[in-house]
Amino acid sequence: MSTLFISADSRKKLLITSCIITVFTSLGAVFACFADRVIPRSMEYGLPLYYSVSVGILYILLLFGVYMTKRKHFAEIKKYIHVSAFNCAVMGTLFTINGKTQMLESQPALSYYILSGLEAGLGFVTASLVLVSAYRKLSSEKVPASFRGFPAMLIYLGIISMAVYSLGV
Amino acid sequence: MNGERATDGLFRKNTVLYSLMVVSPVIVCGNTIKNALALIYVFSAVTFLSVMVSSFVPSKIPYTLRVIIYASVSSLIYIPARIASDMFFPDIAQRIGIYFPLTAVNSLIVIHSEKKFFKMKRTQMAVSLFCHILGFDAVMLVTAFFRELLAYGTINSRMTDIDVLISGLGEPFGGFIFLGLLCGVYRKLSSVSGNKNGGGKNFSDK
Repeated sequence: MSTLFISADSRKKLLITSCIITVFTSLGAVFACFADRVIPRSMEYGLPLYYSVSVGILYILLLFGVYMTKRKHFAEIKKYIHVSAFNCAVMGTLFTINGKTQMLESQPALSYYILSGLEAGLGFVTASLVLVSAYRKLSSEKVPASFRGFPAMLIYLGIISMAVYSLGV
Repeated sequence: MNGERATDGLFRKNTVLYSLMVVSPVIVCGNTIKNALALIYVFSAVTFLSVMVSSFVPSKIPYTLRVIIYASVSSLIYIPARIASDMFFPDIAQRIGIYFPLTAVNSLIVIHSEKKFFKMKRTQMAVSLFCHILGFDAVMLVTAFFRELLAYGTINSRMTDIDVLISGLGEPFGGFIFLGLLCGVYRKLSSVSGNKNGGGKNFSDK
């Protein structure tokens, strides 16, 4: 959540953070697929450890990949990777996918996991776009000082969430 | 450290209301006192023990590896905490869902520990960490109390005589709105108490 607010003040920050989170959720879903096939239900308390190590491996690989391909911009991009790696959007996606697949009758294919991860990443992008569109107005001097910025954004997100909730009811 | 006090995490720079950390569990799970207590227990135990143990990780290790070690240590500590929680709160795990395991990698452990706690002496760190955890616990309980009372008309599952119910407060969107209002009230009280002490400034995000 705090990552969403931090990136909302700049389109560039938003774009980079969202892309990195989408990469983490999509590739992390591969590890979720492996976990479902290998880790027995009785060891589900060990899932956070497994996902932490998996995201850690992805974290190192992503830093290495960016260093090798975009060395000029590495110092700037690595800040976003550091913030995104153990973000609740990434870890939450892995746990959510695990929860969803446990309710299915048969083990889904790898593509299901990757698509779920991609869906979650795009959901983060959508939420960020919703927030950035209102950020300037919610941080303007017309809003009372006590509610300016984060409190107003929380209320705004609550109203948007209420609208989305009503579509599902 | 720049006029900061060890007790900042509780009042002056509350973990949730000022620093906006660990907000999602408050919004989603802070709708009944039972849910709040179960989450508070796991969060407090895991966060305190994880940060204290992780403080022994040598700083010579590269930052990326240190963060991975912190997350792994807290995930290990999560296991007995979760087993104990299931014994004391057997029905809660289903309702809280993914927010239980997410406490194992909350931002106090993976981000804030490096930025703040590990720069302090160990005793001061323990006090500051304890106050930050208490700050989260207090907000979680206050939120759960009001949301359960106004959404369901109960306090810790006991019926009250309240006539007006706002059932939306029990849903996540109600959590967003309630927390936003609570943040605004907190900021107002902070700026008023800051002005009373002399030299306080109006709250600003920039």
